[in-house]
Amino acid sequence: MASVKLTKVQKVYDNKVVAVHDFDLDIKDKEFVVFVGPSGCGKSTTLRMIAGLEEISGGTVEIDGEVVNDLQPKDRGIAMVFQNYALYPHMTVYDNIAFSLRLQKVPEDEIYEKVTNAAEILGITDYLLRKPRALSGGQRQRVAIGRAMVRNSKVFLMDEPLSNLDAKLRNQMRAEIILLRQKLNTTFIYVTHDQTEAMTLGDRIVIMKDGYIMQVGTPTEVFEMPKNLFVAEFIGAPKMNIMSTELVKEGGKYYVTPFGSKIVVDGEKGEMLAKADAKPGEILLGVRPEHIALSKTGENAIPCTLEVNEMMGSELHLHVFTEDGTRLIVRIPTVDLSAEERASLVRGKELFISFKGKVMHFFDKETQKNLLVSED
Amino acid sequence: MNNENTVMENGQVRLKRHMGLKASNTIANTIIYIILIVMSVIWLLPFVFIVLQSFRCESTWQVGYVVPQQWGLDNYINLWKSDFKKWYLNTFIIALVVAVLQTIIVLCMSYTLSRFRFKMRSTLMRLMLILGMFPGMLTMIILYRVLKDLGLTQANAVPGLILVYIASSGMGYYVSKGFFDTIPKSLDEAARVDGATRAQVLTKIILPLAKPIVIYTVLTAFMGPWGDFVFARYVSFGTSAGMNVAVGMYNWLNLDQIGARYTMFCAGGVIVAIPVAVLFMCLQKYYVEGVTGGAVKG
Amino acid sequence: MKRYSDLEYLKLSKGQKFLYKLESFFLAIPAAIGRFFLGIGRFFKKLGLGIGREFADLGKTFKEGDWKTRGSYLVMGLGSMARGQVLRGLMFLLFEAVFIVYMVLPQGGLFWLGKLDNLGDQGVHKVTENVFGQTVERVVYGDNSFRILLYGVLTIFFIIAFIYTWRLNIKQNKIAQDYERSGRHLSSGRDDLRALVDEQFYKTLLALPLTGILVFTVMPIVFMILVAFTNYDGTHDGLNNLFTWVGLDNFNTMLGWSSGGTSYSAAFGEILTWTLIWAFFATFTNYFLGMFVAMMINKKGIKLKKVWRTILVLTIAIPQFISLLYVGKMFAKNGLINLSLINLGWITPGNELPFWEDPTWARITVILVNIWIGIPYLMLIATGILMNIPADLYESSRIDGANAWQQYTKITLPYMLFITGPYLLTSFIGNMNNFNVIYLLTGGAPTNAALSTAAGSVGHTDLLITWLFKITMGAESKYNMASVVGILVFAISAIISLVVYSVLPSIKNEEDFQ
Repeated sequence: MASVKLTKVQKVYDNKVVAVHDFDLDIKDKEFVVFVGPSGCGKSTTLRMIAGLEEISGGTVEIDGEVVNDLQPKDRGIAMVFQNYALYPHMTVYDNIAFSLRLQKVPEDEIYEKVTNAAEILGITDYLLRKPRALSGGQRQRVAIGRAMVRNSKVFLMDEPLSNLDAKLRNQMRAEIILLRQKLNTTFIYVTHDQTEAMTLGDRIVIMKDGYIMQVGTPTEVFEMPKNLFVAEFIGAPKMNIMSTELVKEGGKYYVTPFGSKIVVDGEKGEMLAKADAKPGEILLGVRPEHIALSKTGENAIPCTLEVNEMMGSELHLHVFTEDGTRLIVRIPTVDLSAEERASLVRGKELFISFKGKVMHFFDKETQKNLLVSED
Repeated sequence: MNNENTVMENGQVRLKRHMGLKASNTIANTIIYIILIVMSVIWLLPFVFIVLQSFRCESTWQVGYVVPQQWGLDNYINLWKSDFKKWYLNTFIIALVVAVLQTIIVLCMSYTLSRFRFKMRSTLMRLMLILGMFPGMLTMIILYRVLKDLGLTQANAVPGLILVYIASSGMGYYVSKGFFDTIPKSLDEAARVDGATRAQVLTKIILPLAKPIVIYTVLTAFMGPWGDFVFARYVSFGTSAGMNVAVGMYNWLNLDQIGARYTMFCAGGVIVAIPVAVLFMCLQKYYVEGVTGGAVKG
Repeated sequence: MKRYSDLEYLKLSKGQKFLYKLESFFLAIPAAIGRFFLGIGRFFKKLGLGIGREFADLGKTFKEGDWKTRGSYLVMGLGSMARGQVLRGLMFLLFEAVFIVYMVLPQGGLFWLGKLDNLGDQGVHKVTENVFGQTVERVVYGDNSFRILLYGVLTIFFIIAFIYTWRLNIKQNKIAQDYERSGRHLSSGRDDLRALVDEQFYKTLLALPLTGILVFTVMPIVFMILVAFTNYDGTHDGLNNLFTWVGLDNFNTMLGWSSGGTSYSAAFGEILTWTLIWAFFATFTNYFLGMFVAMMINKKGIKLKKVWRTILVLTIAIPQFISLLYVGKMFAKNGLINLSLINLGWITPGNELPFWEDPTWARITVILVNIWIGIPYLMLIATGILMNIPADLYESSRIDGANAWQQYTKITLPYMLFITGPYLLTSFIGNMNNFNVIYLLTGGAPTNAALSTAAGSVGHTDLLITWLFKITMGAESKYNMASVVGILVFAISAIISLVVYSVLPSIKNEEDFQ
């Protein structure tokens, strides 16, 4: 129900450490934006500045066009879900959810209406009279969400809400958050360190590192066109393989020469390289594990040795190293392999791997920026 | 044969080891029980003596035996006839008022220092650390003079003592601050997002959670005045009406009085100790919590 | 001293490692003291720079200020009121009015300040008057040194508070002016009041406690520090016989730098030595025995844990003046123990055990009784900490083959010491000032025949703190000397704390616990 606009937002701590550098972002009404990055990247700090829990050192935060820098959290029209749920231990689930309404002096029968409604949506009606300590992690999470829901806020903030849950429950809650979002139909800002959550939940993803925004884009954009090496490696699991190699231009065509092979960059990527007028020379070449195939013939392929074979069920993760010792990961669907082939993939086996031009990512060796993305 | 032997020996060794573990454990436990019993006797005896001697009627001075030859309530009756009533009431009033006011002040101080980050915070804490190193006794001289000017000494010592006890109690914020520090800050934050003011955060979230430390603070604040001797003696200065139990009963053990009042002191001790000790024993759990928390936090 | 790298250090033998650590510890002390003085230097530099900045800012604010801001330099709160912040403005104005009135009143601030230089000219005296041709003697109340010093200190505090408020008033004007210019909303009186229960709630909460500390701790301490530089005592009571400034004379007397007054310095040296010995034993006997008892009670297989604990905490539950006075009399020459021994025929009358009569007996007895009083407290603390030691530490050490003693020295003790490091320090200083135990048990006895001062006799078990008490309560009421003792106790505590805090690694940042 509201747009959020951050202009040159900065966080400087008393000891002069800068946690967030000039953060610019326009969040549209009803958009689901995810801040993602490794710990200490400033994502939570930014969220807390939007919430009013952290003082804003510089720049402005606007919610619905109003500058909220000087407003107390309660006056900003936000709701927030905390990482450790922050349920009030001495209150029952019902009282927890009703707390904010009681502070607003909402009549009790209206509170009853709203709380039971929220409880029904979240499936916690049976626990309304329990204290938080008698609940499981997933149930606590739902109560925390319920507490935020009843506030009818303009912006819904979530600070790593799933990181305290186990893997199975996390997947389930992730799906529920998507449903919740459709029901609430409001603006969401979601902080996580988990790129899978970011990719599955976000309309747009803000990838941060050391207080700087590395890239803002839709999940597809950041996956297919990472602006820089950091984003490329951060998004996608297992992470992208990076090879130090040379970009060669011969007869209007670009080639890369990883580990002695010579692979033509054909198709779309070749055209884009030409359009960007990429200069030949030392580059970093990125290829995602799922885009590498085992080559049976060995023709124009890279020889390498298998070190570890991880069986993941539907796919195999092969950790291999090339002749110069570079470690790469190859991800192969199990269905493509016969039983003998699978059995033969043991430590020490010599393999040939290959990949196509259209799956390549090119990064400048110095700046680590994507050669195909022009600065805007 | 040879082989069998080793096997057997091995078995025996193993058996011995197992037995050894159990046996040495039993020996150790026995020694510990003996030590604990001896300690308990040492710890209990003086108090048993006090109680026994408080019922002694045949003489009022110190004697070389503990079980009275003639039992009776003489000492308690004498106590009732003396100024002890007045002292007891004084102490009780002081303890009660101090328990309430000191708790409020300590909680204000510790909650603030735990939850707010304001400009002078660390300076303030450092300053209080430094102030705490001055012997409190030093300030008695001037405080006594000031109280005297205000007319709050001698017969009016009770309000004077209350004033002095609570005035500086903010310095004792440490233990409860340590407790507040263990309550997650995200609870405050959640409440503030939910629409609570800072004052509401304190009354609706923190205080209900701080029950153990509130009880601890009340308990220590209540027990303090029962034992205070130095300042109370200064302020009441020779006026019986303004004395607390500690000051009044101290005089009974002076050289000139001990012969006549020794058993009375015992009886008074019993009367003073019973309510305080009972209260302490009931709330022991909270006391332990506070003491350990305080020590761990420094 | 040679510094070893980590790998070199690992190759050293056990003894070498210990020596190396010991050497590092002692070598770190001068550096720590150096850092302390550097810190003081930096503090004053910062202070100087800060004051300079304040003045520069004052000038700048005046130059750039409008009439409202400039007017506030003279009439506090003018700007606030003119800008609609009436409540704030009124508070400022009221404060200024009270200050001015107080200063110029006949018996007001200026009056007291004027007398502060010599603390009064004449006390109670008689004047002869000629009334109707008859010479009459009349008693006149003159100055009162005590009041002059007290109100002088108060006035100085008030002036400092006024300067701070004046500065605050100008700062607020500057902010308000900037807000006005950029069109931001100025907080109204109602906003200000609301802020006092919300973002400024800390001011509300701190107001009462800090006032109490200021009036009943800070001011008395400042006053008593000043007393150390006067001749305030029983004869110079400030009323009949005024007291006045004597500079460092009292310190000279106490520390023996002046001739003639050696008895004070000798007594001080003797008492300080015993105070430190006492504090050391009182702290560490309780610490280790308390830990030992806690471990015994917590041992697996020991039953009735709660009963043992409850029996021991009796000494905490029962007011100390009862237990200590009673036990003190128990050990007396004609106390329960000696009389019982005579009854049993183990000793004969006249050969009583000299618990409080022989210096060495007395000192050992107070330490033993202190163990009786102190162990339960330490037992509770140690129990809490011991239960917090992760059990897997013991399990893994058992798998590694450690026996009980090794577990104690390698896990329990280091863990306890690490966690209770700061507590040990506070408890050491607390024991240095442990008035109750000494005064209620022995009152300082036995008297040290070789030592006595103008302020009275000195006992073998007297601590500095009980000595201080005796000096003030003695026949001569040497308040000035008591004050000197107090300052020295503070200095000693501060030095010990500084050394420990800057050398020990285990003193942690308070935020680490949060």
